[in-house]
Amino acid sequence: MRNWSTQKEALALRRYAGQRYACGKSVALDDLPRFLEAVLRPGDRVCLEGDNQKQAHILAKALANLDPGKVHDLHMVQSGVVLSEHLDVFEKGVAKRLDFSYSGPQSTRIARMLFGGKIELGAVHTYLELFARYFIDLTPQVALIAAVSADRDGNLYTGPNTEDTPTVVEATSFKSGLVVAQVAEIVDKVPRVDIPGDLVHFVVDAKKPFYVEPLFTRDPAAITETQILTAMLAIKGLYAPYGVRRLNHGIGFNTAAIELLLPTYGEKLGLKGKICTHFALNPHPTLIPAIEAGWVEQIHSFGSEVGMDNYLSARSDIFFTGPDGSLRSNRAYCQVAGLYACDMFIGSTLQIDLQGHSSTVTTNRIAGFGGAPNMGSDSRGRRHPSEPWLKAGADADPDAAAGLRRGRKLVVQIGETFGEKNVPLFVERLDALELADKLDLDLAPVMIYGDDVSHIITEDGIANLLLCRDNDEREQAIRGVAGYTDVGRARDRKMVERLRARGVIRRPEDLGIDPLDADRRMLAARSIKDLMLASGGLYQPPSRFRNW
Amino acid sequence: MTSANSWYEAGARQRVAALLDPGSFVEFIGPEQRESSPHLAIFDLPEQFDDGIIVGRGTLEGRRILVAAQEGRFMGGAFGEVHGAKLTGLLRAARSLREPVLILFDTGGVRLQEANAGEIAIAEIMRALVEARMAGVQVVGLIGGRAGCYGGGSLIAGCCSALIVSEQGRISVSGPEVIETNRGVEEFDSRDRALVWRTMGGKHRYLIGGADAFADDDVLAFREAALIVLAENGRLDADVLEAEQQRLEHRLHRFGKAHDAIDIWTDIGVSEPTEIPGLANDEFLRRIADKRETANGAR
Repeated sequence: MRNWSTQKEALALRRYAGQRYACGKSVALDDLPRFLEAVLRPGDRVCLEGDNQKQAHILAKALANLDPGKVHDLHMVQSGVVLSEHLDVFEKGVAKRLDFSYSGPQSTRIARMLFGGKIELGAVHTYLELFARYFIDLTPQVALIAAVSADRDGNLYTGPNTEDTPTVVEATSFKSGLVVAQVAEIVDKVPRVDIPGDLVHFVVDAKKPFYVEPLFTRDPAAITETQILTAMLAIKGLYAPYGVRRLNHGIGFNTAAIELLLPTYGEKLGLKGKICTHFALNPHPTLIPAIEAGWVEQIHSFGSEVGMDNYLSARSDIFFTGPDGSLRSNRAYCQVAGLYACDMFIGSTLQIDLQGHSSTVTTNRIAGFGGAPNMGSDSRGRRHPSEPWLKAGADADPDAAAGLRRGRKLVVQIGETFGEKNVPLFVERLDALELADKLDLDLAPVMIYGDDVSHIITEDGIANLLLCRDNDEREQAIRGVAGYTDVGRARDRKMVERLRARGVIRRPEDLGIDPLDADRRMLAARSIKDLMLASGGLYQPPSRFRNW
Repeated sequence: MTSANSWYEAGARQRVAALLDPGSFVEFIGPEQRESSPHLAIFDLPEQFDDGIIVGRGTLEGRRILVAAQEGRFMGGAFGEVHGAKLTGLLRAARSLREPVLILFDTGGVRLQEANAGEIAIAEIMRALVEARMAGVQVVGLIGGRAGCYGGGSLIAGCCSALIVSEQGRISVSGPEVIETNRGVEEFDSRDRALVWRTMGGKHRYLIGGADAFADDDVLAFREAALIVLAENGRLDADVLEAEQQRLEHRLHRFGKAHDAIDIWTDIGVSEPTEIPGLANDEFLRRIADKRETANGAR
């Protein structure tokens, strides 16, 4: 007779081993290393919670300091490789295999360790893809998560930065895995129950809050006039004609400029209420002036943003908040919302090739994907109509019968022809391909595939790739907005003029935009302090963004 | 909210145009003369036709005045050979013409690529400035740009008859990154911008008598402040130097052991000192009115 409960029995053994170092569910910080050695087994699949924002940093530090003689060959399945400890575990031999999604600040070191064979790479995922695999073939046996506070039964309050926690706990705890949470304090009663206590096996009182990176704060003082011009093109040439109301913005300065132009330029164009009313978006401080001016109806967020918590609590008509008054974010739900319920994704990238493929990978940096490809892709499973989706579908396939024609999501890449340090945005060949060769990967790490991209916006104009009928047109449309980059200078002038006549390429003057009007005085806020003032003092910017 | 005439936001030419009487500015050695750096090409770096500084003459309420304005957006407003020579020349002209000078600082200090030439330029400027002041010419520094006033720029500022600063302005010999690199992040965390501003920023410099006037971040506010400062006496002689020496000794004695600007503000009796950085300018001025250290006739 087969034993059908081996996983439940293994969990019982882990809990028993861990209980030696716990009082009830509570594990003292000093006992954390011995506790982890007791509950972890060599080869375990472990989710160490961490994404592009919140980090279970105390648990990460403890894990990185374990004796590899006792705990080794772990298979890490986690959203973000962000802290140095996330890679120290591989350096020390505690972990061996890695499946992840995002690696922003560690992108150079992770590349070096992959080249050096220190890490056995499973795959680089998008957030949703990795979450999905938690439920199919990458289910964690142990989850090390982060919360704000816990009560004595292990009920967790994850606060405004709930993010990945419910997804990780769902996959781990209901499949007989062990869940260990770090919290900043143990309280008699948590402000709200984000994770029920019976799903949480142990709690570590870390005595301090988990680390959060302020990734979505863009200082308006750093927005350039070229970025303002691209933002004007986007608003007048895309948002207005398609009537884009439901959307996601990337984190770059171009989209920050769009947010800051809504109450000024957008107002002047009479677009209030017609565009930008519903967002799947983190609480960008640069959206404060538009929210205050009544542009935005609703925002669902992946996570919170450092300094924004009081503002969000005070604007519960706009944001999702709990009965305790604070924001409830959820990365998985928000990613799904961005994929299925938004009509536009707009964001910047580092490289775009002649087919419109884009990538943030360079030859010695692997930044991962995060969520951009989930937002920045056309969801083939979508069935509900909306005006922008249908209009984009008609652009792409004007001859099909309307009743059988798929709509299209607007997937927009926006940037300057020469980016930071004057590096050209447009390339003949993506560095991602070279990296794939070097690492012997089956797939080059492409952030957004060319066939998902609908428009490219630079200071040179807008290229509508939906209107291109073959690869030649597509290539020339891209070259046509590539300015003085090598790619741009190699354009076929006659063909580019023909594309412009057809409206495939639209220059600022074609849209009635004078580049000299792109002035910083048009921004609804020109400094972080302006944002703070616009929020009525509710936004409390972190020290690193202040200049007072 | 940021003023439409923000000093911090404006470029050097916009500042000069709005600061002086409309249309009165005449530039010396303008960009059309192509006096750019002889050194930058060696490093394959872009040049600017005015080498990042504008010098010339105009009027302020009808009174003739000489002006130099650094462009902080070109190489951080750094001093190179040509950049420095233009300011030296202006100060020598001021001595001959007996006309006051406004220096609109916006600089990180000496341009590293022109190290020796830049250092010599600083020395020449300081000599010319002191000689002009000895001849009775006022030289007033205006500080509120993005690059602040650092390195050699701060030494020159230290020689001026008076300084006008805004909250955004920063004055220090060593910049935050330099201190952190040399003394460690425990000594000074350059990424902690609140720390940077309360140590080097306009409010603190004004509070400890390092600046003589405090202006809103607005070109017209700087103009008003300049008119007030220029009405005062900017003489420089042995008595003034002596008084300045005593003022600095007294300051070092009183505050030399303070670990943080807030300790100093507490010491001079500012109420709720931790609120100082967040205060709006009028409230800030009200609260410190009888508390701030002044130059006491020194400089």
